[in-house]
Amino acid sequence: MTFSPDDRASELRDLFFESAEEILQAMNDAGLALEEHPSDKESLRSVRRAVHTLKGDSAACGYRELSELAHELEDVLTPDLVKEHAGLIAEVVLTAADTFRDMLAAYRSNLQPPDGGALREYVQRLLHQPASAGRGRPSEEATATFSWTEYERLLIAESFRRGETVYQVALHLASEAVLPAAAYELVKKALERAGKIVALRPENSGDLVSGGLLEAALASTKPADWIRKRCQVPSVVAQISVNRIPLMETEPRDVLDILVESEAAAVSASVAGQSADPGEIEEEDEAHLSSAPTGLAHAVAENTLRVDAGRIDTVMNLVGELIIGKSMLQRTIAEFERRFAKDALRGKFSDALAFQSRILNELQKSVMKIRMVPVEQLFRRFPRVVRDVAKHLNKEIALEIAGQNTDLDKSILDALAEPLAHLIRNAADHGIETASERAAAGKPVNGTVRLDAYHEGDQVVIEVSDNGRGIDREKVIRRAIERGLMSATDTSRMNESEINHLIFTPGFSTAENVTEISGRGVGLDVVKSALDNLKGSIEIETESGKGTTFRLIVPLTLASIQALLFHVAGRLYAVPISSVVEITRITEAEVHRVDDHEVFQLRQQVLTLVRLERLESTEKFERSKRVFVVVIGAGGRRFGLAVDRLMGEEELVIKALEDQLVTSPLVSGASILGDGTIVLILNIPAVVSHLARIPAVGATA
Amino acid sequence: MDKDIQIVGFRIGRETFGLPIALVREIVRVPEITSVPNAPDYIEGVINLRGRIIPVVDLRKRFGEKVIEASKRNRIVVVELESRAIGLIVNSASEVIKIPPSDIEAPHSVFQEGELNYITGVGKFRGRLVMMLDLSKILQRGELRRLEDAAESAAVATDNMARV
Repeated sequence: MTFSPDDRASELRDLFFESAEEILQAMNDAGLALEEHPSDKESLRSVRRAVHTLKGDSAACGYRELSELAHELEDVLTPDLVKEHAGLIAEVVLTAADTFRDMLAAYRSNLQPPDGGALREYVQRLLHQPASAGRGRPSEEATATFSWTEYERLLIAESFRRGETVYQVALHLASEAVLPAAAYELVKKALERAGKIVALRPENSGDLVSGGLLEAALASTKPADWIRKRCQVPSVVAQISVNRIPLMETEPRDVLDILVESEAAAVSASVAGQSADPGEIEEEDEAHLSSAPTGLAHAVAENTLRVDAGRIDTVMNLVGELIIGKSMLQRTIAEFERRFAKDALRGKFSDALAFQSRILNELQKSVMKIRMVPVEQLFRRFPRVVRDVAKHLNKEIALEIAGQNTDLDKSILDALAEPLAHLIRNAADHGIETASERAAAGKPVNGTVRLDAYHEGDQVVIEVSDNGRGIDREKVIRRAIERGLMSATDTSRMNESEINHLIFTPGFSTAENVTEISGRGVGLDVVKSALDNLKGSIEIETESGKGTTFRLIVPLTLASIQALLFHVAGRLYAVPISSVVEITRITEAEVHRVDDHEVFQLRQQVLTLVRLERLESTEKFERSKRVFVVVIGAGGRRFGLAVDRLMGEEELVIKALEDQLVTSPLVSGASILGDGTIVLILNIPAVVSHLARIPAVGATA
Repeated sequence: MDKDIQIVGFRIGRETFGLPIALVREIVRVPEITSVPNAPDYIEGVINLRGRIIPVVDLRKRFGEKVIEASKRNRIVVVELESRAIGLIVNSASEVIKIPPSDIEAPHSVFQEGELNYITGVGKFRGRLVMMLDLSKILQRGELRRLEDAAESAAVATDNMARV
């Protein structure tokens, strides 16, 4: 397989974005740790590692702004400086993570990145507050070291790549030169006239002293002598040496090579290898070694594959086909056995089929396992979310996390990211009271938000709970009526759970004040619609003064579901078995009409009866005296689904009805049974809201 | 001399329509069709095409025919459009027709107006007219002009061509 340079570059960028996510996560983690223990050396090291890797990788991808900012940050993250500004460091790291994330997002969509002003300000503050004496590059010794940082080496390598000749220029300032800062500018101008400055040390005019040394890497097309003459600034420059940097042995280089072979090792050998400051080398080496496990090189070399999720989906689809194929085969063999009861081939057929089924089962499990990832991947983002909300609102909130090893299908996990973040922000913002309120209520001042995940049968439950004030149902009702979402009569008929679920109605928000954190015009309804899309559900448990628990229940995988099959009006439908509460039979006489709805009584409860044949609503069907009713629980509501004939339970391999010609909100997918029949899988929430709009037959009479 | 264009011809009502053979994947008998609630009227439903679920459009309904009689000769022409497979129900699929490009006329301006723009050309084959369909237009949502109008316009168009 060959790649064009473009392919490689874009592949490299994809890799970069992916690994950058991890790097940012590491920064966030370390930032939070530093907030707790500002002197935590390990965390600081991990931040430096992260910034360092980000710097190199982004430079290789051509994201100069990011790379430069990372470079600036890396410079100030020295242990000395950090010790001095212990109080500031966590904030700097977290701000940096945010800034980098914004920049990455901009790069990803090919936009001009933000300039990261807030971060720059921090960096400046770190630099300019009285720093320790050791700060600054060793410019006091007058011998040229050319100990370029790795970033500068990368820049030099870049110049080489473009086919430029690069010189190392060492300029000794005359000891009698006054105003070294002005001298610096003069020399810099001279250098600029002589060629293109790739790197210059010291970087700031203020760091240059009389009699000091100025080092530069200069890309130029002119010969060394010409450059020397150009830079001869009378009475400022005492001595000049110009040396051409030898060409790299590893030509032709490209960005990927630079990354993969331990970054600029080759460059450093020829550039900095002359006589570098031993301390500097050690530091760089440490950075090299430690960057390996998180860097891109790692992603390429390690025994882990990053595979496009689409490829796994393809395999999963094929396995689905095989399962359908298997049930076709099963039927055919059953038929064969009936017809040729005495044939010797029968046994062989069943053996082969059993063998094939077993392998197929294994195959399905293995493929599903590939898609499974621990929920920790998602959970680890949330300490930062809680911390930000808490800080913003001046609350003390601890986040407890449990069950982070619970596995879940990657696509489901991804789809849960937004809703979960929303619920967590909501819990921290609206759930947890202010410290004074808590004290007044006799509760510990520190609030707790708890995140938990566990398996329950074929489903995964994720809980977001807080020990805050709980949902005020009176307020919810008032708000719902105020917003015109419900009428007073509607709400009077609702049970507690239904009232709780009102908060998921679009256009509902109980926050008295629209806050920056959770009141951004997006309500909890996005949580609900996300769960609907996943064929999941939400339960709410709340107790006034004690707190609220949101329970998100999602299927383990989106590839297949255990479903109940039934016929309505000659059509075959299926619903996820997880949504079925019970199955009962009633007679037509037991069906009553209340307002526009048909209802029936089940034990103590009055439930709405939904007739699927009314989805078409044109034809009239003969009704049998007794009907089966499948009682469905969805979003805190229960209702009965009238069905003609129950067909039993079956595992269905879900095929999406992707074609926009047939997409219908009422149907969430389809599946093919062993005999080739197509069964439509109902989208329960959509069916309910759709039918609610159609008045019952005869209701107007 | 240009090569003959190969066209899959099929009948809807009394008219012959055609699609370039490259677009047609196969022609199958009409299997059991599962209707989808709330889908547009002209969507008959979905069929199981060897493990693939594909939507089926009834071209007869699409062209506004009122009475549709199911017959054993009815076929589903499975077309592939932008990697989507779609079935088209037709009265009968006749044959593969070879027409030299010179015998296909660009649609008369009548066809380019309004809803009739789903005809891309009119071919002449053994004294019959074969109307070439623009699949993407047919599969757009929305109404199409009645079939009779299409046939009429085709006749007018060829009349004009003959006169010129």
